[in-house]
Amino acid sequence: MKMEDMSLSGLDNTKLEALAQDIYSDLVEDACLGLCFEVHRAVKQGYFFLDDTDQESMKDFEIVDQPGVDIFGQVYNQWKNKECVCPNCNRSIAASRFAPHLEKCLGMGRNSSRIANRRIASSNNMNNKSESDQEDNDDVNDNDWSYGSEKKAKKRKSDKNPNSPRRSKSVKHKNGEELSNSVNADPYKYNYNTGINYETLGPDELRSLLTTQCGVISEHTKKMCTRSQRCPQHTDEQRRAVRVFLLGPSASSLPDADTMVESDCYDASDGQVLMSRLQWDGSSDISPSDSASSKASTNNSDSKKPKKKKKTSLGLNSTGGGGGGSGSGGGSSSQTSLVGLSNRKKKPKLPVPPTQYLDNLN
Amino acid sequence: MSKDSKMRATINQKLTEMGERERLKELLRAKLTECGWRDQLKAHCKDVIKEKGLEHVTVEDLVVEITPKGRVLVPDSVKKELLQRIRAFLAQHAT
Repeated sequence: MKMEDMSLSGLDNTKLEALAQDIYSDLVEDACLGLCFEVHRAVKQGYFFLDDTDQESMKDFEIVDQPGVDIFGQVYNQWKNKECVCPNCNRSIAASRFAPHLEKCLGMGRNSSRIANRRIASSNNMNNKSESDQEDNDDVNDNDWSYGSEKKAKKRKSDKNPNSPRRSKSVKHKNGEELSNSVNADPYKYNYNTGINYETLGPDELRSLLTTQCGVISEHTKKMCTRSQRCPQHTDEQRRAVRVFLLGPSASSLPDADTMVESDCYDASDGQVLMSRLQWDGSSDISPSDSASSKASTNNSDSKKPKKKKKTSLGLNSTGGGGGGSGSGGGSSSQTSLVGLSNRKKKPKLPVPPTQYLDNLN
Repeated sequence: MSKDSKMRATINQKLTEMGERERLKELLRAKLTECGWRDQLKAHCKDVIKEKGLEHVTVEDLVVEITPKGRVLVPDSVKKELLQRIRAFLAQHAT
């Protein structure tokens, strides 16, 4: 029994191995046969050679291995050096820059900002009149500051409403029109960016500059401030100091526009002394806007309107004073006018200064 | 000897009945495709066909040409793995 069992069960290893090998080769043959049938069917059905490309095409698309050329045979910089002519501006443009150029040129791309350019161009035409130059000088010509603010300020300028009160104010101020024109001529002499160097200007130029501009000399740049007389950066004290420094002590008077015009009305020396004393003492009451904006306690006023009125009334006074009899009448009228002025401005200190004026006058 | 043949027949029968044969077949096909054996042999077929002419190729022609080459081209790893599986089966079921 055992022997049979053994013989039955125990095929020895070599036989087992042989058996395994046989089974294996059967399997491989099966695989080969399967492939053969597949190929034969493909051949007979005509689709065996379909996925191959023909010889000619193989030659066309052969891999290229030359220097300066990619594997398809294309040159890298082929279109770099070519130039195209822009149909809009008729300029010759490099091919790689052509698309962005066209975008800007036609004004239709995303970053072209053509509309903005057009607006700037039209507003430049508007701004070429002298009245808006005054506006420019106010904010743009502050040369104590940097470049960038100048450009930004210029752009903002063009967006201003032509009917804004500031513009009308500058128009009103134009009694000394030849003055302002001459001042405006000067800015073109020097660059907006560099500011005014007081050393290079003559006394007449200085005086004309100082009548319209702040003129305070900056410590670090040694240049005169080109903002208006009311610029909030500098105090009236500073302005006065600058005028004393530049023109001599006798000629330091702030609203010089008034004095220049008044020389027509009465004697120049008298008028100037009177005016200067008046302005230094009581000007804080007459110009509330000034006191609001300026930082100094003593306020040499810059506003033009009240001064004009005051000047005319004083003009009356002085001429009346010469006559004697009419002087008192003129004095009373001046008093009332002055009080009226001060009442309009609504200052608590009002009652005191006008009497002082009267004392000076009489 | 007949016992051997009987033995063999029994084992083969078992192999088929249990589905092991199919499994082994699939395993072999997958492995051969994976290792590129199939593509090599197909390229050889193309040569044979071009040689014999497209119209007149028979199955016999192909079989005669392909099978010996196919046997040779089987990679060793595939062969070893398959033999291992067969031996395992035999060891399990030959008693």
